[in-house]
Amino acid sequence: MTKIKTGVILFSFGTLFLNKKLDLEGVIRTAAEIGAEGYDIVAAQSIPTYPYVSDEFVEFVNECKSKYGIGPMCYSAQLDRGMLKERDLTEEEALQQAITSVISASKLGCTVMREQYLLSPASLEKLAPYAEAYNVRVGIEIHNPESPITPAILEYLEVIERTKSKFIGFIPDFGAFATGPNKPIWDRALSKGATTEQLKRCAQLKYDEVSKEDALKIMDSEIEKTPALLDVINSFYGFVQFKKDISKELEGLKRIMPYVFSMHGKFHYVDENLHEPAIPYEEIIPVIEASGYDGYIVTEYEDEGGYDAIEQCHRHIAMIKKLTS
Amino acid sequence: MTETKKYAKKLNVIDNVIVADSLRNQVIHNNTLGYAFEVCLDYYRGQFLTVIDEFQITIDGEVVPTETIKFCINGKEFNPIEFEHCYSEFWQAIEPATINVFKPGGLKAGEHNVELHLIFRSPYMPIGSNHEYMAIDNCGKRTLSLVEEE
Repeated sequence: MTKIKTGVILFSFGTLFLNKKLDLEGVIRTAAEIGAEGYDIVAAQSIPTYPYVSDEFVEFVNECKSKYGIGPMCYSAQLDRGMLKERDLTEEEALQQAITSVISASKLGCTVMREQYLLSPASLEKLAPYAEAYNVRVGIEIHNPESPITPAILEYLEVIERTKSKFIGFIPDFGAFATGPNKPIWDRALSKGATTEQLKRCAQLKYDEVSKEDALKIMDSEIEKTPALLDVINSFYGFVQFKKDISKELEGLKRIMPYVFSMHGKFHYVDENLHEPAIPYEEIIPVIEASGYDGYIVTEYEDEGGYDAIEQCHRHIAMIKKLTS
Repeated sequence: MTETKKYAKKLNVIDNVIVADSLRNQVIHNNTLGYAFEVCLDYYRGQFLTVIDEFQITIDGEVVPTETIKFCINGKEFNPIEFEHCYSEFWQAIEPATINVFKPGGLKAGEHNVELHLIFRSPYMPIGSNHEYMAIDNCGKRTLSLVEEE
């Protein structure tokens, strides 16, 4: 019998944090209050001495753990390949940035680290000995529009399976399994003058796998009348893509589950009946449970649309607990 | 440092990038040598200063000469022309930067229109293959009353 654990990525309360409604301790306390058993920290948001971790910060995190009972589980790193003015980081420089992240994750007591796809498969392979030495399992994030079966992700899979390292793997984001438009995008377009009928037509074009170019042509006269539709089509074909049938993606997920270190429970809106209309949690969770996964599903609220972030995360955790009980 | 206009994403995570009640004259050795105010990132995470592509300050409709500006974070002071070398200077998401402007005599008492033009690259969001990254609009303006020091 596996036991999936619930976590929260502190980023979910980002708007409250950045507007100083909650300080970092308040954010951690809130995560504990709504049922998180651990948390995931976006390093570049929350760590004052980023990309390094100070002794003071470790002390603060440990104090919070003794007060609220939860500590950092996953260190969400970012690969700032475009940080230099004139050129991208070289592979060697990107690897060094990732090694720094591993060291910081370890100092903070995280045993899992999320890394982004800008770290190449070859560099991930070079990172493996450092990950092992510091006891930090590094998972490449699988974020929409990538999925467990897209070519870029299969390149990482090849490295993971060939090296047989237990310290490199994946962190899938549930957004990669979206089956419909999300509520914030839909509502924003309605508020900017789009009609439900127009939005349904845009969604249908995506469902029918019409190319973005053709979709823009087909909707051209409507976009002229209602410019908000351009954003809608860009989103539907961008980082919040969706498709009707995700059975192949779920097969892919099943295949990679042995290499999954943590999962990001991305969501845009959970309704009062504990249902996320854009991402079929009811279909995804059984695949995860069947794999014997006993790690975290980390609540990740996208924080768009102006809903109450704390209530939304609370509902999301309740949804995960309901679906895994 | 301003360049051609292109699409830049505005997050609006915070209300205004210019911090309220932050405008003060700078008095050094009993001489008013300039003024200072604070600006914030309007983004969910902090950034290295090297990602800043465009930076300009305008006060009461007049562009402030770049040469007279110091951008202060982490107990250090940088001129905008130095940003491109600051690849290890990290500007935290929740810490304002202080902008010091050298202007002997400082600003007159009363209200001033302060404008910040700041565009940066989101360095992990490539939008093309040739060092192209999502541009983020961190601009803002605000009318600030000069806070008189006691």
